[in-house]
Amino acid sequence: MDLHSIYSNEEIGHLAKARFLEERRLKRLDGWFLAKEIRRECDGKFQDLPPVIKAAETMREILARLPISISEQAIFAGTQDDAFARSYALINPTFEVNSFTGYCDPTAVFGDIEPNEIFTKERIDSLRDYEKSLPFTQTLNTAYALAGSSTEEAVFFIEQVTGHLIPDFKPALARGIAGLIEEIDGKLRTNPEPSKRACYEAMKIALAATVSLADRYAGCARELQDAACGKRKAALVLLEKTLRRVPQYPARNLYEAIQSFLLLWQVMCLEQAPNPFAFSAGNADRIFEPYRAMTDSSRDSSAALFKHFLTFFNVGDRSWAISQNVMVGGKSLSGSDLTNPSSYALLDAYFEMNLPQPILSAKLHRNTPSALYEELGRFFFSPGVLTPSLFNDDSLFDVLARPGVDANDLENYSIAGCQEPLIMGKDNGNTTNSWLNLAKILELTLHRGTSAISGKTLGLDAPALGMKTNQSAELLFNIRDAFYTHVEHFVDTMVAAANEASRAIGLLPVPLLSSFMGGIETGVDLRDCQEQGTKYNGSGCLIHGLSIMADSFIAIDQFLKERAGESERLLNALKTNFKHDEALRQYLRSCPKFGNNIESVDLEARAVAQRINGLIAGKRNYLGNPFRPDWSTPSTHLLYGHWVGATPDGREAGEMLGYGLDPLYGEAQSGLGFRVLSGAHLPYKDMNGGYASHFGINPSHFRGKTLAEKGLEFQRKVVAPLFSRGPDGEPGPFYLYVNVTTPETLRQVLANPKQHAPSGIYIMRIHGTFVNFLDLSPEIQQDIIKRLDLESTSPA
Amino acid sequence: MRLNVFRKGFNYSQDGPGNRLVYHLQGCNMRCAWCSNPEGVAMKGTLMVNPEHLIESVCPHGAIVHKDIDRERCVRCTTMECINQNRNQSIRFSSLACDVETIVSEAKRSVRLFYDGGGVTLSGGEVTVQFEEVALLLQRLKDEGIHTAIETNGTHSKLQDLFPVIDYLIIDFKHHDDRALRAAAGMGNRLIKRNVAKAFASHKHLLIRIPLIGQVNDSAADAQHFASFFRQFDTTQARFEFLAYHEYGKDKWAQCGMPYRIANGFVSEQTLALFHTVFKANQLEVIRT
Repeated sequence: MDLHSIYSNEEIGHLAKARFLEERRLKRLDGWFLAKEIRRECDGKFQDLPPVIKAAETMREILARLPISISEQAIFAGTQDDAFARSYALINPTFEVNSFTGYCDPTAVFGDIEPNEIFTKERIDSLRDYEKSLPFTQTLNTAYALAGSSTEEAVFFIEQVTGHLIPDFKPALARGIAGLIEEIDGKLRTNPEPSKRACYEAMKIALAATVSLADRYAGCARELQDAACGKRKAALVLLEKTLRRVPQYPARNLYEAIQSFLLLWQVMCLEQAPNPFAFSAGNADRIFEPYRAMTDSSRDSSAALFKHFLTFFNVGDRSWAISQNVMVGGKSLSGSDLTNPSSYALLDAYFEMNLPQPILSAKLHRNTPSALYEELGRFFFSPGVLTPSLFNDDSLFDVLARPGVDANDLENYSIAGCQEPLIMGKDNGNTTNSWLNLAKILELTLHRGTSAISGKTLGLDAPALGMKTNQSAELLFNIRDAFYTHVEHFVDTMVAAANEASRAIGLLPVPLLSSFMGGIETGVDLRDCQEQGTKYNGSGCLIHGLSIMADSFIAIDQFLKERAGESERLLNALKTNFKHDEALRQYLRSCPKFGNNIESVDLEARAVAQRINGLIAGKRNYLGNPFRPDWSTPSTHLLYGHWVGATPDGREAGEMLGYGLDPLYGEAQSGLGFRVLSGAHLPYKDMNGGYASHFGINPSHFRGKTLAEKGLEFQRKVVAPLFSRGPDGEPGPFYLYVNVTTPETLRQVLANPKQHAPSGIYIMRIHGTFVNFLDLSPEIQQDIIKRLDLESTSPA
Repeated sequence: MRLNVFRKGFNYSQDGPGNRLVYHLQGCNMRCAWCSNPEGVAMKGTLMVNPEHLIESVCPHGAIVHKDIDRERCVRCTTMECINQNRNQSIRFSSLACDVETIVSEAKRSVRLFYDGGGVTLSGGEVTVQFEEVALLLQRLKDEGIHTAIETNGTHSKLQDLFPVIDYLIIDFKHHDDRALRAAAGMGNRLIKRNVAKAFASHKHLLIRIPLIGQVNDSAADAQHFASFFRQFDTTQARFEFLAYHEYGKDKWAQCGMPYRIANGFVSEQTLALFHTVFKANQLEVIRT
């Protein structure tokens, strides 16, 4: 019996939609709190065990005790709801830019649960107090103490990284957990090292606990059968039978493979609850295709099952589990295309469901078939429908190979979260470990260490910046040297603090996840701070403010050339936010800006990126591996800009920074062609941590008669020019996300949501992730509208 | 060798096939009242002023008062601090000198954007006003294998010399009547007709553009006269296009400090249809880019 002998594809699809609507009605997420309470108990119960085994035993308890259920609309068992809180700032309607303080405080999440009769204030406070006393929290406090005052005004941030990895579930689907445990037993027979033995034992416990959870769900399905009838009863019988098989044993068809995957995912997230954002699935088409092929499941039948797969990733009323990435397409090492029937079935499911999560990414390359672009046309050109992020394999393979990724691993790169490329199952990139605000450092440099926002001393004074005098002209003539000196100063502090945050999270082993990240090979937990548990390891640094830096340096150059005698005036104007000097602000605004194909400023952007890439890559993380430069600013361009005073490009204090590598909003007025040419100068080859870039595109520029034709047109007019190689054959751009719409359209959606989004869902992209535009805070909605910046992408 | 350029940018299919990097060259020998690029007319360039952010301190000579500029003073000004020192978003000089090799280099970098058979188009102003420089640039672009197009008013006596380095030739044929054109644009059409005849005879990718301006060249009789002129040639290699009057450039006339003199130049859909019908009847292929 299979599901398609019970339900039609349409019925399966309807169930998925009903399941999603049911999920959107969920206003409370309390599972993480219960899991943490169980952890507290287990901390005492298992206190004498090695930490990694304690973690595994704790998982076993959580999985055995957490309440479970199976929805009437579900065809699969499993949920992520217990791993997430209603926390993520940007989709919180009460979010305001000036209230943002980063994601650093591990006990802040207790403010995200609303007390009620069951979860009383006392109960919440008690657990919060306990969490504050934990070694993890204490170590994290040490990390923030190292950061000192720098995080107060967002010079940099650091964070302990949870989620943000791509587990490799393929062995578990193929051989079952039984197969993995058998492999671990083999390792145990030959490996005498106590620490590794403990790690292997922990993996076994955690994996076995996952099978036990499947059994609990099977029991649940069995109980529900008594009250069910007809098709539902048959579906529950199938579900029970399936749960008795997977994930313990190999999956034999697509249905079993998806069920196995979802339970593994559930437990993986629970292991890091609350809020392990940005776990990503990798190339789901490649993961599931062998199982689709086993029964030659049709495109429609596969898409029907994938609809439930996608629904699973949506948590609660606002899809709180953000940045979970699913990829399709791509190329092999030899250059052949790797799209398959599951790629297209997944796209069908995505299009028809149009959900806020999980986010979709398409890997493209020179041999990507036209059929894929034709399929993508409907995503780009249907208003309110999700659009995939685009990755350029032809460039990314080179970018990843440079720092040492083995050739055989390249085709298995995937995206963790928004745009950070990692090797699936082998790479612990700590992607969001550190965040650097170049524009703030420039501001502090121009004011010799004093914040123009608060007047506080946050940075180095003139002598420490290499100045012999306090003369403004000396500072401006040497602004680059002074700035980079300042960056070095802050980066050193940032790195020390970030590494301490990694050591803090290292106190919380993750044996289950480790077993999907190469831990079975190494016998080392992926968070281990002494020994590397994954084949690849690094730490990320998200760098903010490229366009501000390039525009500012060039403006200073021009100012010195034309008005050198007025240096004091410039610094005073910046300090007072141009309050009494609009003429000077106008002058600065009229200087060349990045994004308009003006060589001086475009090459300056390249120089800044090269210098900072080198500086960041020269720093070592807690395991001695390089930090990875990542020029992405996941809405933090807005948050960080709030803390940056006026800058020499004419930008006023508090205004947003440029997004990722993009020109500052409104400054690129010369159309898509020149913007592409400007961007082509940038040194993508050294951006192995990733980068962000967004095109807001006016749909009226595309003339194709059908959506498929427009998809091909999009390839010719946007993808192909952008993803070309750089000068001297350097790797070109490798990432883009788009919103194909106009500000007018979005304003109409906000003014009349019932007309434009009757389902309540209007999907937009905001940095790398999908969001329901209607779920966003007003400030973020306005940011999206503003950043469409259609002048910068017009064809003329 | 340097060219004076007043604007550059990409355009899809409207100035030649595919996506094209279009350079608008400074200076024109005609004075069309409907011109949508008035800043490109003066040979030396034009000061363009947008009052929005105009500040008096931009001009140390007192030419700016209450967001208004006294251009009489600008004519006599030799220092031009407004564009050399006190830069401002509201004031700029249209013309920029560009080295031929810089343009070639930019075009080579732009090859990735020349999809659908695109390349470089030189437009104006009037491109042949800088004839020697244009000839060199076109040759250099051809040397680099880049598709070339020009849009010209067809008035240069040596236009034919450029044909070998022009892959796609656009000639604006503004009026069939010499006196009428002289009245409207300050030049007659004798040379234009001669060049058009040569182009029909020897250029394989020719587009004749006719701007249709109300009260100037849009009557039924005009349609017949245009068609009568063209049908005497072998036009099998040529295409024709009508550009209906628009006012997209009207604001720029004000920015250039020049009065816009056309009260109503719009033409009706019926007029456009009539021109199409007449041309079709004369076996003249009309396209819309």
